[in-house]
Amino acid sequence: MTVQNIRALPKQAAAEDPSSPKKTSPTGSSSAPKISTLVLAPAIALAKPSQLLRIVREQAPTALLGCISLGALFLFWYLGTKYKVDFYIRFKNVPTPYAVLEEARTVGLSNKFFINVVDSLRRIISGFLIAILIGVPLGLVIGKYRLVRDLYMPAIEVLRPIPAIAWVPMAIMLWPTNEASIVFITFIGAFFPILLNTVHGVHSMDGVLIRAGRCLGANEVKLFWYVILPGTLPHIFTGLAVGMGVAWVSLIAAEMISGQYGVGYYTWEAYSLVNYPAIVLGMITIGILGLLCSGAIRLVGFIAMPWLAYSVGSKR
Amino acid sequence: MGVARLARIEFGIFALLMGACIAVGPERARAETTLQIGIGTQNTTTNTVTGGIVLKELGLLEKHLPKTGKYQDFKYSLSWQNFTSGPPVTNGMMADNIQIGMMGDYPLLVNGATGQATGNETQLVAIIAYNAYGGGNGIVVHKDSPYFDLADLKGKNVSVPFGSAAHGMILHALQMHGLTPDFWNLVSQSPEIGSTNLQEKRIDAHADFVPFPELLPFRGFARKIYDGADTKIPTFHGVVVRKDFGEKYPEIVTAYIEALMEANDWVRQNPKLAAEKVEQWTSINKEVVYIFLGSGGIMTLDPTIKSAWVDAMKEDYTVLQKLNLIKPLNIDAWVNDKYVRQAFKDQGLDYDSQLKSLANYDMTGNDPVCNVPVTHPAEAGQIWIDGGDILTFSSPACTLTAVKKYTADGKKLDAVYLVDHELGIKVFADAAFYAIGGKDPKSPEVVPFLLKRNAEDYVAKNGGKVATYADALEGVAGASH
Repeated sequence: MTVQNIRALPKQAAAEDPSSPKKTSPTGSSSAPKISTLVLAPAIALAKPSQLLRIVREQAPTALLGCISLGALFLFWYLGTKYKVDFYIRFKNVPTPYAVLEEARTVGLSNKFFINVVDSLRRIISGFLIAILIGVPLGLVIGKYRLVRDLYMPAIEVLRPIPAIAWVPMAIMLWPTNEASIVFITFIGAFFPILLNTVHGVHSMDGVLIRAGRCLGANEVKLFWYVILPGTLPHIFTGLAVGMGVAWVSLIAAEMISGQYGVGYYTWEAYSLVNYPAIVLGMITIGILGLLCSGAIRLVGFIAMPWLAYSVGSKR
Repeated sequence: MGVARLARIEFGIFALLMGACIAVGPERARAETTLQIGIGTQNTTTNTVTGGIVLKELGLLEKHLPKTGKYQDFKYSLSWQNFTSGPPVTNGMMADNIQIGMMGDYPLLVNGATGQATGNETQLVAIIAYNAYGGGNGIVVHKDSPYFDLADLKGKNVSVPFGSAAHGMILHALQMHGLTPDFWNLVSQSPEIGSTNLQEKRIDAHADFVPFPELLPFRGFARKIYDGADTKIPTFHGVVVRKDFGEKYPEIVTAYIEALMEANDWVRQNPKLAAEKVEQWTSINKEVVYIFLGSGGIMTLDPTIKSAWVDAMKEDYTVLQKLNLIKPLNIDAWVNDKYVRQAFKDQGLDYDSQLKSLANYDMTGNDPVCNVPVTHPAEAGQIWIDGGDILTFSSPACTLTAVKKYTADGKKLDAVYLVDHELGIKVFADAAFYAIGGKDPKSPEVVPFLLKRNAEDYVAKNGGKVATYADALEGVAGASH
């Protein structure tokens, strides 16, 4: 029973640890369960509470450090505005957390702010999904075939560094509706990281796997589906996480077009009315939404790649 | 290269300071004798040019800055910072990167209120240019659209830069016509975005401030269907300074206003040259610059702060307040005419008499086609001949006759200006509507209007018919033979 438990533990730990599949250190993942089971020996009969407790124990440092990380940021802001620090960096005019909270209270009452959030999420997710649909297949093909790579990469490398805000006038002219223009700009943000990470993923794949697949009689389509795609998934998910971040970064540029609704627009309008607390509220909202979206991607990645929990790379 | 290196060094210092994370040394290092003055300009907003780009290019501020007394050892470092709207200037002023800024009436209010709320008080010290009846702000539609009047925009998508003078204008226009805010679907778009959207027919109408309501029609894809002059509420651009800066260096603020006055004189004395130079400096077409700042132009250059402007601002403030777009503002404490009075005194001019005057410099001269002196500026017209002079004519009919004549002579015309009979503002002749053939059939009267509605009203009252530019040209051709 105990032995079984110890063996089963790493799997369960991995399975029930959605937020940080990669964070467990080699020492942590191999020794920590043993210690915890030893310590918790009396409780082993009650398997469930013990597991829960252990998960809490393993997660506690992560959660604690997370709180410290965010807390330090908040403290920096709070102290900076409280003492109106003026030492090259100047907090004199930065709104205080309290002013932002007040602003949040006033807009929180209106469902207009909720519409802003929903609109922005819809735009980001649309642009992001289109970026996946185009970026991943294109990246796989570019990575696999040299001819395709030589044909596409120069154009991609030219388009890649163009900032989102520079695309605004072209986006208006290219697309028939405002929504399409906005989605296009968030797409541009997400597309390149996804594409390039996919290409990189194909390149860094172990050639042995592809040869093995060929020897076992896989045709090109099967090779892509059963070997290259799964082998590239970790890189693709890195690309997705980065792409999601950049999509949010380009949100203000995108929603300058909107003229109505969207967190990016809200922030932009606050700037044109010089309402500093509202600007900060917009910034924080974008930050939180971005965090949630990245979290969702990591969760999906974890579910899509269960084998990673056992791979050597994950126990770095 | 140099800038990049500087930025890197600056970043390095910044990182070092942040890393150290100790708050000592409250004052930034600043050489005793070098005074950095940040000036926030709006070069593309044509009626602020005499407070910004003209001063910069002609070196007028340097000329007027004090160099004696306590300023003896001062070395001035002027930092001209250009933006396309007021809010970034306000932002810079709150951060104390900009000490002198210029913007339109509504952004000025936001500037004052933000300053008072954040302990960065600013003061309105002078006006750059005004239109006493609200002209300059306007609503434009795509030239192919079927909209000719405010009423045609019911239920349509209209964009305006929120918080701008144009925003205030359309709020007033709605109130004036007894319309509710849901009359149309109003969204916020900056001039750049709104112009592109209008060109692509993605919005039905775009309301904007100087120079866009004239610039977009001039560039050939838009039609102005409403002018702020209809609201009869003054609009203007003004100069704000940080209060602490003004109190510390009053002579510099006065010097700035004196430079502004000299720039105004320069424009009035050389309107054609000024329009050409401003086009060169700001890329706004000279014909558009001239319709605002030329003789009899839509804007009057006058630095005095008239009580009517202060009253207008108090009314504007209530508009913003109703929409919950502005913090509290003590307008009387914010307006300060001390510096502009001092500037008039220094120049030996009478401030109080200028305060009462609403006179612009008028279109004058001799009509070279009808051979009469130009005596009624409100009926005069002007033709800008490509590569040549700006000629003034005594009446719309004479102007159009001249257009026919010069075109027949093979001359290319840059622009033809007439004065709107109803709104009293200069209009581009090819964008106007005309009432022709009224009253006396022998000498057909040609009466120009910006708005089709006004031309129709005039015809209903006086007879005749409504005509386009082409029709009106035909009409005068018939008369001259």
